[in-house]
Amino acid sequence: MTEPLPDRAAGAAETTSPSWSRRRQPLTRARAFRISVPYLLIFPVVAAIAVILGYPLYNLVKLSFEKYGLFELIRHSGTWVGLDNYSSVLHDPVFWHTLLRTAVFTVVNVGLSIGIGTLLALLLVRVSAWVRILLTAGLVLVWSMPVVVAVQVWYWMTNFQNGVVNYALTQLRIGDYEQHDWYATTFSQLGMVTTLIVWGAVPFIVVTVYAGLAQVPSELVEAAEVDGARPWRVFLDVTFPILKPIFLILTSLSIIWDFGVFTQPYLLIEQSRIHASNFLMAIYLFEEGYFKSDFGRGAAISILMLVMVAGMSVFYVRRMVRMGDVE
Amino acid sequence: MRARIIVAALLTAAVAAAASTAATAASKASAAKSITVWLQTDAQADNWKPIVAAANAQFEAAHPGVTVNVQYQTWGAHLQKFDATLAGGTAPDVIEMGNTEMTKYMAAGAFQDISSSKSSLPNSDSWLQGLALSGRYGGKLYGVPYYAGSRVVTYRTDLFKKAGLKVPTTLAQFQAFGAKLAKGQPKGFSPVYIAGTDWYFAMSFVFDYGGGIATQVSGKWKSLLASPKSVAGLTAYKTFFNAVSKASKTTDESHPNPYDVYAQGQAGSIIGPAWFSCCVGKQYTGVTGQFVVPSHTKGQVIPGFLGGSDLAVPLGGDKALGVDWIAAYTSTQSEKALQAIGNIPNSTALTNASKINERAATRSWFVPTAKNWVNVENGNILRNMLAQILTGKLSVRQAAASAGDNIESILNG
Repeated sequence: MTEPLPDRAAGAAETTSPSWSRRRQPLTRARAFRISVPYLLIFPVVAAIAVILGYPLYNLVKLSFEKYGLFELIRHSGTWVGLDNYSSVLHDPVFWHTLLRTAVFTVVNVGLSIGIGTLLALLLVRVSAWVRILLTAGLVLVWSMPVVVAVQVWYWMTNFQNGVVNYALTQLRIGDYEQHDWYATTFSQLGMVTTLIVWGAVPFIVVTVYAGLAQVPSELVEAAEVDGARPWRVFLDVTFPILKPIFLILTSLSIIWDFGVFTQPYLLIEQSRIHASNFLMAIYLFEEGYFKSDFGRGAAISILMLVMVAGMSVFYVRRMVRMGDVE
Repeated sequence: MRARIIVAALLTAAVAAAASTAATAASKASAAKSITVWLQTDAQADNWKPIVAAANAQFEAAHPGVTVNVQYQTWGAHLQKFDATLAGGTAPDVIEMGNTEMTKYMAAGAFQDISSSKSSLPNSDSWLQGLALSGRYGGKLYGVPYYAGSRVVTYRTDLFKKAGLKVPTTLAQFQAFGAKLAKGQPKGFSPVYIAGTDWYFAMSFVFDYGGGIATQVSGKWKSLLASPKSVAGLTAYKTFFNAVSKASKTTDESHPNPYDVYAQGQAGSIIGPAWFSCCVGKQYTGVTGQFVVPSHTKGQVIPGFLGGSDLAVPLGGDKALGVDWIAAYTSTQSEKALQAIGNIPNSTALTNASKINERAATRSWFVPTAKNWVNVENGNILRNMLAQILTGKLSVRQAAASAGDNIESILNG
């Protein structure tokens, strides 16, 4: 409100002069422009989101309330069944087993990725520049590998008949791994998937945490060390509180990624071994929706998954914020 | 202003794109200058491709100006793709369907009724009964028999000779070959390579012992897997597998392809379609023979799964041209060529008992003809049961009972 003052003073002096309106007009337009700039700037994004996300989401919600199988697909119209799809999913014991399995799977994967990633980031700070470059280059290579290619490499390495892992373990006399089946039980199937996912997720976490570590003032760390704090205490009381926002983001993102993971388990476990006894949520959704051509039920499962992930994220964010307030 | 221009430009582009797709759709409907045919990748093999090309040439000669666009699909993904094209109204004009996949799609009305064209289709009065049945639903004809296949043993004649073995006449004899063929071979060598979860082969044991998968009792499907006869068959499969195969107990019959294992010298014999002889590797081509898997009863062959394919015209496809192409591709000449490369032709007028695979098909079994059967296949119910049995996770009886319950709930669902 400081700007208009000289303006109004000038206007008062020449009320009737035509130059007043000439000077005033470009100004209002400028002001209107200034007010609308933020809206104009977000308009393309909002429009794009509305078209790309909003419309399909609307259709998905609609689909989840319809009986929509192969018969309806061919006729391009479903029949409204209210909450039938939801109640059939919620009464399916496979859904609850899968949910529990996926929850455990997510906790293990997120925990391992964040844990190993943080340790590697702390290591990066301490090693020489040369080793750091080498390590970073390796991590970026892992990061840049497309998921499907990574799965193929993993699959080839753990192959039953001619796998290099079995060969190496046998040659190293760790045990007789000739013709060892790495996909024989649900536990070992999901174990292989976990290794692959953690391997792929670690680089992003290392790079992000490492960047965050650069923000930790070295005086604080030194002061704590002078006071006799052990490395673990320094990390817990100095480094971690400063990096908390970063961990918050990384953990929420990892939960979202790992809870809905599809490509790695579907390709690595292999279609012919996929069964209700090793389903993860996204695979359960795919089997029910696409393989059984029950698209309405599939839509209901995906809405439930969406609600769960959103719920988890909100819960987690609020807890972290509250923890910050207490301190 | 900039933003508005960009938005306007984007909108224009979107409208233009929509208009152009609408235009192509319209032009396709008005004057079909090409038809789209979906065949499985099997037909892409070197010895199979010329048969497709010959049918295309014959069709194009009869319909000047119409070209045939053949697209090859994989068994694992073609149904999902087909669903997507049905939803989008871009289904092909002709599609190859596995005979176990037909019922679900016929029941949903995915194909055009071609009953009135039956008399104009080659050899339609002598179609193989098993295949012809898989293309009929509610008294109407939707699928034209394309070819059938049976499973035989492809074996190394040099290894059999060295071990002093002749073609076995009973299952017990064949099983006893395991130890003799494995002598002097590396640890991973399979005398008979069988993928652990090859349910087509495993179910042959079940049917050989008089068991079955499921049967309809007063309108309801009832599992037969846990019956004493089926359990005896499954137990025999487990014993046979353990005696002769070093394959993974949890893998299927295409990871790896059995003929690749054979070509690498890691198998004395493999089970599969007769055309497996195509790909046994140069070094073994001269020392490869085939025989029919014997039954546990002397003098009989084991009942084999009568696999096969049908050709159908999906909803939205060009029916007249589609049927004409099917007629060209299933002509006597075409079917004879398919027979020459190891398939069973679609008509009893063409079958020849001197062919090994046709001898193997003299005793055969088929899956329950329920509209939800394909969900049992896709849900890997039988494969999982076999993995449980072979790895010893569950007893034969337990695994069969649990798979049976599962099958009942899917088929009656």
